Parts: sequence; C-alpha cells; structure tokens
Amino acid sequence: MPSSQAPPAGHTASDPTAVRPDIADARIMRIRPAEVLDTMRALKREGFSMLLDIGGVDYLGREPDRFDVVYHLLKLPLTPATPEQVGAPERVRVLCSVPESDPTVPTVVALWPAADWAEREIYDLYGITFTGHPDMRRIQMPDDWEGHPLRKDYPLRGPARERTPRPSFALKSNVAAGTPASGKTAAALQRQIAQSRGRNEFHGAPDPAEAAQQAKHPGGTRTGGDAQPKELAERPVNLNQQQDGKQ
Amino acid sequence: MSAGTSVAPEGMLAMDVVERSDNRMVLSMGPQHPSTHGVLQIMTEIEGETVTKASPEIGYLHTGIEKSAENLFWSQASTVIERMDYLSPLTNALCYYLAVEKLLGIDTQIPRRAQQIRVLMSELSRVASHCVWLGTGGIDLGALTGFFYAFDIRERVLDLYEMSGGARMHPNYIRIGGVAQDLPAGFLGQLDHFLKTYDERMHDLRALLQKNPILQDRMIDVGIIECEDAVAWGITGAALRATGIAYDVRKAYPYSGYEQYQFDVPTRTEGDAYARFLVRLDEMDESVRIIRQVRKHLDEPGAWQIPDTKFAPPPKETIALSMEALIHHFKLVSESFRVPPGDVYQAVEGPRGELGYYVVSNGDNRPWRVRTRPPSMYNLQILKKIALGELIADMVVMIGSLDPVFGEVDR
Repeated sequence: MPSSQAPPAGHTASDPTAVRPDIADARIMRIRPAEVLDTMRALKREGFSMLLDIGGVDYLGREPDRFDVVYHLLKLPLTPATPEQVGAPERVRVLCSVPESDPTVPTVVALWPAADWAEREIYDLYGITFTGHPDMRRIQMPDDWEGHPLRKDYPLRGPARERTPRPSFALKSNVAAGTPASGKTAAALQRQIAQSRGRNEFHGAPDPAEAAQQAKHPGGTRTGGDAQPKELAERPVNLNQQQDGKQ
Repeated sequence: MSAGTSVAPEGMLAMDVVERSDNRMVLSMGPQHPSTHGVLQIMTEIEGETVTKASPEIGYLHTGIEKSAENLFWSQASTVIERMDYLSPLTNALCYYLAVEKLLGIDTQIPRRAQQIRVLMSELSRVASHCVWLGTGGIDLGALTGFFYAFDIRERVLDLYEMSGGARMHPNYIRIGGVAQDLPAGFLGQLDHFLKTYDERMHDLRALLQKNPILQDRMIDVGIIECEDAVAWGITGAALRATGIAYDVRKAYPYSGYEQYQFDVPTRTEGDAYARFLVRLDEMDESVRIIRQVRKHLDEPGAWQIPDTKFAPPPKETIALSMEALIHHFKLVSESFRVPPGDVYQAVEGPRGELGYYVVSNGDNRPWRVRTRPPSMYNLQILKKIALGELIADMVVMIGSLDPVFGEVDR
C-alpha cells in the first residue's frame, strides 16, 4: 500500500476504481454502455437477484469516458431463507464508463424495478440519460432546474450564488483547496478583523448601503470582491499589503 | 376543462386534474400531510376509495449532502452525513467511517473497546429509531398513547447520546479510528438504568399496541410484499425480513465485531404491514440483547481510538508538551489526512435496511465521491406497486410500515 500521505500518482488520480485489491468487498467488472443489458441479464441469470444501488461518479478530466455509472448487485434467494441459508451473499460491482459526448446508458428497469428512481436520480444529478426508461424526469431537483448539480464543474453553491461577488477574504483562505467560505461568515470575520485593527473599512461583499456610500465617495479603500479564483496566486496574502497595492 | 387533460406542460406534474370521464380522481397527498412522515407527495389516482395508481414524488428535502461531502475533509464529511438519516445518525457515521478506514487500511487496527462502543451506539440508534417509527406509526392509526411510551424510551437513548457526544440529535461521536472520546463518567450507570427499565416499558408498549384489535384490523393483510417483489425492488431491512428472507448485514458481513454477539434475526412470512410491525418490535428486543452483551465488556478500560496520530487527533494533554503532537494536531485540523486512491463499498445494517456507502478517493484530503445507498428510498419505491387496489386510508399504514426517513430519501 502506498503511504497514506503520498499524493496520488499517475492514472489513479482520474480513475481510482479497482486499484485496491486488498479491499475485497465485491467482484468488480468494467463494461461499456453497449454491454449493459447483456451483462445485467447474464448476472441476473447467474443469481444476482437484487439490484442494491446505482450510483454515478464524475471523473472530470478523464478521457474519453468522463462518467461512471456504478451498479451494485447482491445474490439473494427468492424464497424464505434462514440466516444460515442466506450466508454471506456474493456481491458484484459493475462499473460502466460513460463518455461525455454521448452520456446515454440503456435502462435496466425491465430487469429490476428498483432501478427506476436510481436512474432518474443519476439523470437529474449527472445528466446521464437512460434510454428506454419509462419516466425520465428529474427526481430530486425541481423540474425546471438548469444544470446537473453533482457534476464536478457545477459550482458548490449553485450558479446563482456563484455569480455574486465573494469577499476577498474568502478568496484568500482555501478556495484553492476547494472549500469556498460562506459569504456571510467571511464578511463577518473580516469586519471583526478590520475592527480589531482599528480601521472601519470593509473588504467584503458589496452591501447595498455601503455601495451607495462608495458611489458618493469614490476612491474609497474597498478592494474588489469579485476577483476570479485564478487570480489567487497573484494575490498578496497580507491584508495590509493588498490594500496598499490596490491604492 | 376537458376530461383527462391537464394545464401543466409536458413532463410536469398535473396538479389540477379535477374531472375525469372514468370516475377516477387524482388526489395529491402531501407534501405537508402529517402522516407522510416528512415531505412526501403521493399523486394518487382513486376510484371511489380504491387506489388505482400511486406515484410518490420525492425531492422536497433535497439538500445536496453528497455534494457537500465532496467538498469537506474526510473527517468533516461525517457531520453532513449524519444528517441524512436523522433518526439514527450514528449508523450513517459508522458506515461512512468503516468505508474510509478500509481505504486507509486501518480497519483491522480499531481497538476492541472502540468497536464495542460503536456496536453499542448503533444498537441504541436502532432502538431509538424504531421508537420513532412505533410512536408515529401508532399516531397514524389513532393510537396516541403508544407515542408517549415510545418516545419515553427514545428520550433515554437521546440522553445517552448527549452524554457521549454532546448533542441529542447529531452527536458526531464516531470518528475515524474509533470514537471521539471515552464513555464519560456516569454513562454506564445511565445505560444500566435504561436496560433495567426497558423490558417493562416494552412490555407496556406491546400490551398497548401488539394485540390491539383496531391496529390489527388496520395492519393485517395491508400492503403485502411478496418475496420475489421484495428482492426485485431492492427492499432490505425489516421489510425484507417480514417476507421471510433473513438477510441481515450484521450476520452476513459482520463488522465492528458483530460476530461475537448472540442475536437472532427475526423474520415473518406474511409480508404485510403487521408482519413488518412485529419484526421491528422483535428487532428492538434483539438490539437490547446485544447491548446487554456489550455492556459486560464496557467496565474494563481500554483504548477508544487508534494510536496513529496521523489520522486520529493526539490526546489533548500531549499537545502542549509534545512538538510532534502539536504538529499532528495542526495538520489534522488545517488540512486533514490524505486517503490512498481507491473505491470501496461498505454496508451496515441500519434501522431501515442495508445502508451502504460507495466511497471513492483519488488520493486527496477530500472524498471524490460519497454515494449513499439509501435504504428508505428503495423501500419507499415499492409503494407504487403495493398501494394498487388498496384503500386510500391504508396508504397511511403502508407508508408508516415502510418507515421512510426523508433526510435519507432526498439527501
């Protein structure tokens, strides 16, 4: 096993599936969307009677197959059985790679009715369409929602909130690491810091009242709160420096 | 408006169909109906009082927990994950951490006492969760008294949560490599008191509900699930065992040392709402049986967390004295630990069935993907089938007997 503190290496960064033979949690198969129906029929004949779950994963940047649709199957008896008869039923995990250019997978609703909501959820959250599904609608998000929230390029706070300017304070902290601080909290924190430094200017998101005041007194000290994350590297870390630089 | 048409656009819910030519009527049940146990909407088509079509609409409580978890450190993600199944938060946290521990390769190093405490907590969760089902399920049928008895038991469990983790609903007590702290002073006394009073209270509850002719009338032969349907629809937990298939993750794939404890898997073969009711009642007794066995081991002290401070925070008292400890603590808090690449599916037996987590790591300090296998969602889905031909009044019984939790269905 590699050191747990070591950064990921090579292809595992974009495809970490089936790289850990030490975790023998299930038999793992990888297939293409065209093989889904045949594979699933064969597995069902083999006795995998229960479709436990279908999940989606977005490996953004993996070429050419950006998405994975993951089927978890379980071999259960179809008649009453004691715990001894059930034993430790076999598990199989089927990973289906789905290309971004054609995100469609045939449905397995005909084999397992349990797939109905699971497939709708993947359609809703990842935008992968299941062909032949009787009712391919959104399930979790409102019907008129735009975008597919669990895609990695979908902003965490949603597109609407992502467009609102971020306080510069929030941008500095750990956006690069992936955690955007909530606007309100960051603004409050920054106000606190500014106060403790004996200044009353505020580097936060534009507050309407404040914006009005800014308009009256142009050339104020407020720095832009709507900087893009790519500017992060150039941003000075120290609040004082940053302020001086902008002036 | 002409018969059978709607004003809603294609693909949208037709909320305002009021007149049909075939004597059928569409009735929207929920999402604010108290008996839907949360925010479930069921578009039911009824003819007289008979349901001819039922399509549950979920998603009213969608909070994007899986998305949030991808953007938190491995150790922080459990705070949102606990909020999925809010009636048994510790089972969720346990399942997630078991998966993460497998990815880290430390799943064999968890100390005995930590495992015992984990088993204790998940069984207490089961009792508390079943108490909510029992109490609210009784209310659905007009049995108001049972609610107070059931919630009395649940309160005792929540007191124990509060002592151990500091919060009654989401204690976040289970952590990577063990639990957050040892059982506090006075906990075992409280636990003994709970165990002492449990039998009597359960006896009262059973006397109130189990043989109650009104409840029996409402539940027997209502919402029957056949074996084959249960398997095909992905039903797990008490609903599956009420059809006769004794699949219990604790027996099939023991985790946290469940193989050491003696317990039975209660089953029935009728598959109706009353069978599910009885299975759950028996499960509560089996849970308490496990808790009694765990209790015997809890007197001897022991480690409750792995000693590896790369993953588990070093003891507080060492932080001021040891540079190493301070560094580890700082690293854990500021950037957390990295998890080697890999994917894993881990299942535990939650109060509602097989709760699973499919966790993918790409080697970063945040999970790449945390997919929950929500047992309530799959259990609820079969409502589309079992409601057909039943009375609209029995819909309430069926929802109650499937015991969905909407934090988990919608996530």
